[in-house]
Amino acid sequence: MLPADCSRRLVDELQGALDACAQRQLQLEQSLRVCRRLLQAWEPTGTWAWEPPPEPETNEEDPLPACTPSPQDLKELEFLTRALEKAVGVRRGITKAGERNKAPSLKSRSIVTSPGTTASTPPQSPGQVGGHASDTRPTKGLRQTTVPAKGRPERRLPSVRDRTRAGIGARAPRSGAGLRNQHMASLAAPQAPEAFTLKEKGHLLRLPAAFRKAASQNSSLWVQLSSMQTSDSMDATAAKTQFLQNVQTTSGRSQPRLSAAEVEAEVRRLQKACSLLRLRVREELSAAPMDWMQEYRCLLTLEGLQAMVGQCLQRLQELRAAVAEQPPLPCPVGRSPRALPSCGGGAEPTWSPQLLVYSSTQELQTLAALKLRVAVLDQQIHLEKVLMAELLPLVSAAQPEGPSWLTLCRAAHSLLCEGGARVLTILRDEPVD
Amino acid sequence: MRRRRVDPAAGARAGALPEAIAALSRSLPSGPSPEIFRRAKFDRPEATSALWQLLFRVLSPLPAGNALASIALEVQARLVKSALCSQGYPRPALAQLPEDGSQGSRELLLALSWLLARGPVPEQMLAQTRVPLGDEMTVCQCEALASLGPPAPHMEAEGPVDVRRVQWLMGKLRFRWRQLVSSQQEQCALLSKIHLYTRGCHSDQSLGHLSVTEAEMLRDPEGGQQLLRTLEHENRRLEAVLAWRRAEPVFWQWMDTVLGTCAPEAPAAASQPTFLPWVPECGDGELELVVRELQTLEEELREAVERRRVAWEAKARGCGRGPEWSAARRASRETVEKELGALQRCWEQDSGPAPAHGPYRLVRREDGAAGDRDLRAAELIRTLRSQEACLEAVLRQLQRQCRQELARLAGALPGLIWIPPPGR
Repeated sequence: MLPADCSRRLVDELQGALDACAQRQLQLEQSLRVCRRLLQAWEPTGTWAWEPPPEPETNEEDPLPACTPSPQDLKELEFLTRALEKAVGVRRGITKAGERNKAPSLKSRSIVTSPGTTASTPPQSPGQVGGHASDTRPTKGLRQTTVPAKGRPERRLPSVRDRTRAGIGARAPRSGAGLRNQHMASLAAPQAPEAFTLKEKGHLLRLPAAFRKAASQNSSLWVQLSSMQTSDSMDATAAKTQFLQNVQTTSGRSQPRLSAAEVEAEVRRLQKACSLLRLRVREELSAAPMDWMQEYRCLLTLEGLQAMVGQCLQRLQELRAAVAEQPPLPCPVGRSPRALPSCGGGAEPTWSPQLLVYSSTQELQTLAALKLRVAVLDQQIHLEKVLMAELLPLVSAAQPEGPSWLTLCRAAHSLLCEGGARVLTILRDEPVD
Repeated sequence: MRRRRVDPAAGARAGALPEAIAALSRSLPSGPSPEIFRRAKFDRPEATSALWQLLFRVLSPLPAGNALASIALEVQARLVKSALCSQGYPRPALAQLPEDGSQGSRELLLALSWLLARGPVPEQMLAQTRVPLGDEMTVCQCEALASLGPPAPHMEAEGPVDVRRVQWLMGKLRFRWRQLVSSQQEQCALLSKIHLYTRGCHSDQSLGHLSVTEAEMLRDPEGGQQLLRTLEHENRRLEAVLAWRRAEPVFWQWMDTVLGTCAPEAPAAASQPTFLPWVPECGDGELELVVRELQTLEEELREAVERRRVAWEAKARGCGRGPEWSAARRASRETVEKELGALQRCWEQDSGPAPAHGPYRLVRREDGAAGDRDLRAAELIRTLRSQEACLEAVLRQLQRQCRQELARLAGALPGLIWIPPPGR
């Protein structure tokens, strides 16, 4: 068993890493849900999301049309088929004719002709849809197979629907008619186009005008903001610097205090220095000098590196002292060390939207995978350092007897040297007397 | 308002000041009215709580939400003090203000202006709550796998833990990493499909296709209306920020007068205020880790350098002396100095030509053509690959170090055979 404080630190660290991964996973899954939904069939205008289940619809007068249709049904079927074909032809003509705004289609929700709304908002339907209330269910079946690419054909459909209604007569018990239509429509299937999917009709979509206007205003405002940022007026900058100085002098302290944020930034820099130095030291130590010149240079490099390490250590001691005399101010709400814009320190934050261009799915996947890999490696290296700091002293301090020490060694080896992926085997080899 | 002087410039200034302040408060989320600012100059108590709340909104790194609004004023005040202190606010009077909002509005106004002078606060706050219209990807790694918010307290590991539990947690972590990889691959594939299928749709030619947000808006008009409203709200804030930036100089003149009305601080050592005991080790643990690493490195270097110096001196004594000898040595010294200088610059300047912090909008183009301000995926991939290689080298080195250390510690025991796991 590990000592309590060591356990706590290790478990906290690992749990923190686990939580971060879980959070990212949640974000990804949310995004995946949205994307999958978009790639299925959907209705661009209404909020039609489900297909009416056939079962509950069979309540009333009409017998299931699974049996042979009556002559009247056949006539109606034929009439309906013709109507469908006509609708398809009309719509194809519209789509070929050109583009029209999506805005009218958004407004069309208030027009009677959107059964989609009734599907998702039943309480509204009686009032909204008015006289066509009874009509919408059966025509739902109609629409199911003739779902338009854009919803514009709704303008046309009422006429078709009117005709079919007239043809079918006042027979609008919702269920049966709906089912029948479904059935008939499936009989008429070869002619009817498929439901809307992004794959087929995605390129026909258009954004609503109001949105386009707001979006372009938005991007131009951001551009203005960022250009104003870079060419900040001299007056303002001078005034600000002067103000800051005045505040400093009135505070009774001549030197600005070191803020926790600055300490952190410096520690991060020195961390980077440390890893770069260590890499370089490795290189030099493992290089085999060919002649005296190289050897000399190697020696000089190592001495120079030694001096730099000394400087960094000194700076760290100074920071430590500064932090100690003013008590280390706890971070404000939330965890700031990683959440603060660490790279925004040097780089100017740009406000205007920038593009990241990719050319194929594979490229995007490679990019995302690499990003994730770098983040994971970062996490792994941090964990490795923490584990080293905790476990190595334990192993060296523990008494090398008993199975618990062997467990510890084995675990330490696996965690520290194999990243927890593999475990070594220890064989007891008692000499046989 | 101040209309004491008669000259027209002052008249213009007097008119410009309220506008500037109004623009400022419109550009900040839930900004107080210009009247509050004026009252604060005269240190009126009624202006205090609004300014505490505004400072809290500005300083809290968490995005705004109902949770923030429900925090009591005293708590907000304490957190504001702590945050300002950690940013290095120099005036001690702030720390001594009462937390019930009964007085101190002028000091709070000064603190707010101090923050405004140090950085582009309204822009930063807008960027935080920005409406993402496109599919975005951040290029910098600063928030890659960082968790937001304080770590949740874990009930379990309060006592000593078996090391096998640590191994188990590590295994769980490895599994989560694998899960992330596969989920992300799928997400990219779907995203790419959506971009592909909607090409030719967008009114903006440079974008060319819809993003998921935009397609989602078409699928769900209610959500679309919401998005539109938020977008328009953002536009109003943007306009306010632009107005503020244009009117700024007037504000700073006024703030100088505010500062003038304060009594000068006595340079006494202010008592350290007590802060909320938040995560007490943040930043400190990192410092210790680095110190330890550097100390180990120093030890190693000391031994190596001593050894080599001795060997070299012995060798050098054997060789001759001469002008070409010392010239060669000098040349070596200069080369080494240059190299080491370059190395030092690597960490002194934060990575020179870094891509901008902040999210990029993903755009799919078959030809991969990009403008000058845009980033190409291929370049980013190259950078990431080199980063990956660097990090892998560091990790391998650390593991090697551990292996040596463990071998040293454990290998001394007789009667045991250590069979390392099979290599990759």
